[in-house]
Amino acid sequence: METDRFGRDIETDFDIDDPAFNEHFYDVLDTMVARCPVAHSKVGKGYSLLNRYEDVRRAGQDWRTFSSAKGFQPNRPEGMPYLYPEESDPPRHTDWRRALNPFFAPNAVKEFEGQIRADANDLIDAFADRGTCEFIHDFAAQLPGRAFFKNLIGVPVDDLAMLVEAMDAGTYGPVEERAASFGRAIDYLGDFLARRRDEPPRGDLVDLIAGGVEHDGEPCSWEERVSVITDLTFGGIATTTFVMAGALLHLATHPKDRETLVREPSRIPNAVEEFVRYYPPVVALGRTVTKDVEIAGHRFEEGDFVLLNYAAASRDPDALDRPAELDINRESILHTAFGVGPHRCIGSNLARLELRVVLEEFLRRIPDFALKEDTTPEYETGVLRTMTSLHLVFPGGRTEGDAR
Amino acid sequence: MKYTVDGSLCTGHGRCYTVAPTVYAPDDEGYNLRRGDSVEVSPGQDGDARRGARVCPERAIELAE
Repeated sequence: METDRFGRDIETDFDIDDPAFNEHFYDVLDTMVARCPVAHSKVGKGYSLLNRYEDVRRAGQDWRTFSSAKGFQPNRPEGMPYLYPEESDPPRHTDWRRALNPFFAPNAVKEFEGQIRADANDLIDAFADRGTCEFIHDFAAQLPGRAFFKNLIGVPVDDLAMLVEAMDAGTYGPVEERAASFGRAIDYLGDFLARRRDEPPRGDLVDLIAGGVEHDGEPCSWEERVSVITDLTFGGIATTTFVMAGALLHLATHPKDRETLVREPSRIPNAVEEFVRYYPPVVALGRTVTKDVEIAGHRFEEGDFVLLNYAAASRDPDALDRPAELDINRESILHTAFGVGPHRCIGSNLARLELRVVLEEFLRRIPDFALKEDTTPEYETGVLRTMTSLHLVFPGGRTEGDAR
Repeated sequence: MKYTVDGSLCTGHGRCYTVAPTVYAPDDEGYNLRRGDSVEVSPGQDGDARRGARVCPERAIELAE
């Protein structure tokens, strides 16, 4: 069978944590979109995937039938605390989003542009003269955390590495250790939130979270507030890294596109949207079916777990022409990289701002760069996807001691 | 041409006013400013109105001649 050439039949026996998916990412997604509107997994309790744009949209918007309240991960690890508002439905979800949204609106995040630009330049300063960098470690893993910590929650930047590591291990690490890894991040952020609760208010996002929201006139629990700051941090530091890395990989290997953006920075925002589509940090998030329903010709039953395959839906030829092609000049970019329905990524405006500023500054400082010879970028994939190494070289002064 | 933004579907992706700022605008939270309304498109801006509607991931914008 055609869907079998990835070492397993991806239509009936898919595994999102299978290294073969990581390796053949686009091939698997495109095969799914073309051949299986619904794919199934036998892993653990089993789950299904919706792979086409219209089906993903329908399920994402119909939160009553496709609930987030039982979590976004298939085979959710025992003891993994729920992340709010992501893992909740209206009205709890709406109570939080209404309170949080203003902090993430386009005009609100615009205030951070200067600080993000300064941080991008700080990070570039450290390697610009070296003529080489490992872009993930030296830049992409650091910038989103700095942007989020400095501008939104005020956690010391020195603690970023520990949080990134804990959340990484909680996402891609051995399944049985994920809850404990994530727990380290939750403990840290819970202590931080408690300290801020006891300090004079500053009127910022952290005050809002520490103060909590009401559900039906009752104040929400303290655990729920810790969960919210954890969810926002997770989204803020564990995702944009991949788009940044993907963009730089593309520009390192497509000199014409690089030259276009160097010459015409006004084209960067459109390119950013295409990079977000093509390098989706959030591959697929799950829903639990609340009542029997037919979608994409498949009968789902109450209790079934379904992944909305955002990464595949963004490559659906029924939604977008030539989806397998990365075209920075594309006119109508339609994608589901930020999700669809009420759970639309709350940080999407911040992510776009970070990506635009990063590309503007990197291309201004280092307009000519390439992939380092004999290296290939490394990836990690589960319900999220990221790049773990990307070696770049550029004419940049001396190569001290020669890296080779 | 008229456009209508379905207020129950718009979740503030911001694609419409990004690609067609002459037609669509955001409110303070990033939602389409005119969600729920039926709005006349200014002459000569039909193309922009279509472009903005086409990139809405929620399919929240409906156009009518």
